[in-house]
This record gives sequence, C-alpha cells and structure tokens, in this order.
Amino acid sequence: MNTSNNVAQPVHIDRVRKTFGEFVAVREMSLDIAAGEFVTFLGPSGCGKSTTLKMLSGLLPQDSGEIRFGHKRIDMLPPNKRNIGLVFQNYALFPHMSVAENIAFGLRMRGWSRAAKDKRVDQLLQLVRLEGLGGRKPEQLSGGQQQRVAVARALAFNPDLVLLDEPLSNLDAKLREQVRLDLRDIQREANQTTIFVTHDQVEALVMSDRIVLMNKGGVEQVGTPYELYATPTTEFGARFVGANNLVAATLDMSSGTAQARIGADLALPITTCAADLDKDGTTIWFCVRPEHLALRPWNKEGEGQFAGRVLDKIYQGTTVLVDLDVTGLGTIRAERAALEVGDLPIGAYIGVHIERSHAVARSTG
Amino acid sequence: MSTRSRLTPGLFFGRAALIVYLLIMVLWLTFPVLLILLASFQGTLEVSFSAPFNLEAYKTIPPSYWEAFWFTIRAALLATGIALVVAIPAAWAMVRGKLAGRRAMSNLVLIPDVVPQLILGIALLTVFIPLRLSNNFVGVMLALVALSLSTGLRFAEALLEGLPDEYEQAAQSLGANKLTTFRLVVLPLIAPGIAIAALFIFMQNLITFELLFFISGPSATPISIRLFSDIIDRGIVPYAVAMAGILVYVAIAFYALVAVSLGPKYMAGSVMTRKG
Repeated sequence: MNTSNNVAQPVHIDRVRKTFGEFVAVREMSLDIAAGEFVTFLGPSGCGKSTTLKMLSGLLPQDSGEIRFGHKRIDMLPPNKRNIGLVFQNYALFPHMSVAENIAFGLRMRGWSRAAKDKRVDQLLQLVRLEGLGGRKPEQLSGGQQQRVAVARALAFNPDLVLLDEPLSNLDAKLREQVRLDLRDIQREANQTTIFVTHDQVEALVMSDRIVLMNKGGVEQVGTPYELYATPTTEFGARFVGANNLVAATLDMSSGTAQARIGADLALPITTCAADLDKDGTTIWFCVRPEHLALRPWNKEGEGQFAGRVLDKIYQGTTVLVDLDVTGLGTIRAERAALEVGDLPIGAYIGVHIERSHAVARSTG
Repeated sequence: MSTRSRLTPGLFFGRAALIVYLLIMVLWLTFPVLLILLASFQGTLEVSFSAPFNLEAYKTIPPSYWEAFWFTIRAALLATGIALVVAIPAAWAMVRGKLAGRRAMSNLVLIPDVVPQLILGIALLTVFIPLRLSNNFVGVMLALVALSLSTGLRFAEALLEGLPDEYEQAAQSLGANKLTTFRLVVLPLIAPGIAIAALFIFMQNLITFELLFFISGPSATPISIRLFSDIIDRGIVPYAVAMAGILVYVAIAFYALVAVSLGPKYMAGSVMTRKG
C-alpha cells in the first residue's frame, strides 16, 4: 500500500546558524537529505539537534542560513505554512479530541471533504495498526498507541518532511525496541522524508539510512550507521557511538603505512578514518571495539598476541564483558560470547588478539 | 503485609484532632450561610426552633426588591461575559506573545483588586458623571467589568501558564493559524478553568457593594445597595432576610451548574486544565 500521494521532497539545510546570546546552539550547519530518506540527528543533550529541529519546523527562527524543500525556500514561512509533520516527545495529542479527530486535524486545516478525511484516517489507522480505535480519546490509549497516533497525525496530510523529536523516550525499554522497528517500517511504507532526533545511539543505528552525529552545535560526522560505527572520524564519534577502548598513541607514518606507536617500543598497524589524519607524530587514540578483541589461551610462542590478566567479568546474558589488564595497553574491555568465556577465572592470564582497530585524532588525555 | 496501618494511640489522637480541626473550619465557613437560610424562613435573624418555619417573609418581598434583584443579575452576567471575552485573548497575548513589559502588565491589571473598591468607586464616578454613566445600568455594568477584568485576567493567565505550549505548536505544525489554534485547541483546553473563573466573577459581581455605592442611584439600584439602605433605614426587615436567602440560592444554583457540567474532578482542588 502506498499511502503517500505526493512525491517525497529532498531537503536542503544550508549554513543554518542559531545563537542564544553568547551561546552558539547550532553553528553553520549544512546538510542535504534525499527524498524519502530517514536521517537521524544523534548527539548528547545540548548538542543542537533539537534546536535544528525547531528551526526546520519554524517554531524557532534561525539567525542565518536557508532551508529549502526541493527548490522551494521555506525558512521564512510560519510553522503552519511549512507542510511539516511534527511528532513531539510527549506526543501533544489534543486531549479533547478523539483519535480520529486528532489524525484528521491537519486534513481539516487543509479543507478536505468529510469523505476524503474519513478515508484517509482509516488508511492511517491501518498503517499504524490501530484499526477500530478512532473513536477513543488519547487518554484511553497506552503510551505506545498514543505514540502511533502522533505519527499518524503527522503523516496524514502528506507533509514534505516529518520531524520526530525523541518520540521513543517516554516508552519502556521493551516497547521501545518494538516501536522503533514499527516506526522504520511505517516510514519506509509511506516513503516519507524523515528526520529523527535522539540521544540514543542504538535507536540511531537501528533506524536510520544516515546518521548526523552532532556535538556542541556542530556536525561531527555524517554517514550510514555502519560507517559511523566502523569508521568514526573524530574522538567524539569514537566515544559516543558504541563501546570503545581508547589507548593514547602517536601516529607513525615512517614505514609508509599508518602505525600507532604506543609507549616506547610498541607499534601496531592501524586504519585511519579521517582523511586529514596522515601527519607523522600526530597524537591519536588507538581504538579497539570490545568485540574485536579475541581471547585465546596464552601461547608462549604466539605472534601478535598480548598477555592479559582477567580483572573482572560482567555477565550480560548473550555476551560477557571481560575487563583485562593488558601489558602495554593498560586496562581494556573485551566482549565475548558467554559460551566462550563463561568459565574463564578472574585472575587468569590469557592471550589477547586485536582483530581490528582504528585511529582518531586526540585532543585530550 | 496489611495495607491498613495499625491504629496506635498517637495516630488515633492525631486523626481525631485533624477531624475536629476540619469540622470547626467547615462550620465557621458555612455558619453564616446556614443562619441566613434558616432565618429566611422565619423573617428574623433571631432564629428560634420553637417558632414555625414558613414562606411568609418571601411573600412580602416588595417589587422594588425584585427589580433590584433582576437588575443585578443582568448586570453581573453581562459584566462577567464581557470581562472574559476581553480577558482571555488578552491573557493569551501576554502569556504566549512574550510581549515586552509583560510582568509590569500583569501587575498593573491587578490594581482594581488591590486598590480599595471605595477609591476605585470614587475614581470611576469622576469619569462617569461627565459621560452620564452614573445612576444607570450601563454605568453599573461597566464598573463591574472593571472589577471582573482583573479577576478574569488573573485566572486566564494562570490557566494558560499551566497549559504546555506543545499543544499550540502541534496545532500550528498541522496547519492551523493563530486564531484557529486559539479557537480549536487553547479555548477547549482551558474551558473548565474558565467556567470556574466565570463562577467566581459572577458571584463577586452579584454582591459587590462598595464600588457600586458610588455608581448606583435611584434609577440604577443593585440588590446589595437596596438591602444596605433598607437595613440602615428600617432595621433587619423580614423581606430583607428572605432576599438574602434568595441570593444564597442563586449562588448555590450557579455553583451546581458549573459543577455538574464539569464533573467533580474540576471543582474540588485546583485541576483547571484538561490533561491528556
């Protein structure tokens, strides 16, 4: 079922800036979003992601810059003229209206006929799997159902863009897992250009076509979930997305290929993800994901292994986090299948193999 | 574990003291009203349970009283309506419009409530005389509007402050302009509080005395003035007590009307805005 009657629009954000007094909330942000794309603004609170969302929706004027839908410039239009569907963190469903009236609100504002409205509301109730609940009041629905009504309301009038402002943060953990997949499916089915704002990196990785990683009002990195996880280009990215072990090192380009020099006599081959990270002697972080540390029995003659002493084990069900004191690297954490390391005693020595690593420029520590 | 805590002597006396305290308070609040109601069936404030209760005092209420009564009801209702129609959009503009000097505005409109009505009455009179607004219905009504406006603004401001602005933002993002947002979203959401505000303002208007003392006259006499001047001239006559009883019925009737149409949840306590 294709529930969208219009052609999805690409969105262009061009050098948009917002300050509050001295505080720079968003600095010169530029981004092109393809029609039908699901883009997530990911970052900690105060990174500027919600401010950007407010500027897109027109609830907050930008200081400078342009926002365009296709070729149409929209940044000087008031919110009610922008044709944007907005889903609030608290849903903001009108409590005095039924579910159907809530969903039809945008259609009513656009002067749809009664028959057309009813048809469209039925279509959306079906899309968000709430058939038969149109007559209920929002307060008679569960949190997850309210959330889906808010999404249906935002999609109903075929907006050029849908903005979701942390819409999962009021749901309990179990429901959140289900709803994020639902949301992604609904978005794909409606082929709706969507921007999703969250501070939860798992949500971002699961749902997005592309992630815009934001920090302190600026864009740190833009990429697919895989790119952001596998090849972070900044220290912030390496720390914020997924768990990571960071070891202070120096970049050594003397052999022609990139190596991380750790301490006096340890040099390890490394992948650099940022294009400009190529100068010999740059201070870097040597980064290893916990799942890229293989643990094998200690073998005296073995090549490319480090001696690690097990400091602690944290059982998580499927996997176990193993904290290790590794010669030359310090304290690092590995994540292995529970079956593999379940009987590993604390205090034991084990061979640690680095399967994959990457480097980011280091500004701290 | 039992959900009822064990009643220790300390707890028992604590609760008993609380109940006695509340009873005294309720008695203190309702005593004058009960006295008037009982007295209206005997025509005298010296209520005696050996004397008969009847409607004689009500039957002797003179036409001039009824005239004053209906005059007051009309003026009070109209003033309440006008005050709310003016106050609600004004409060919305003040709360949401982020107007400069809003704090000063909010405080300024309280003045009619803070300044003694006596002074307000004299001030209004000096304005009303040249405008030929003293001693007539319009003048009395406008004087009541002045008083009602400040109460209305205060209520409406508090109601709108308590309403998360996300509802309005949602309506606007869905395509509603400011006026439509106000009509379809803001107004229905604060309606319960507005009904309670209307109740309070109407009651206040019904019994306002000091202010109207200056504005009223022989051809525009509110019931409060009529009662006062009769009691001064003739003492507590039976029909005055009966009319006081009628004013109590009006108050109870309006309270009941608002209570029934809103439901008990909004009347007791401070719940005044619909929540999701």
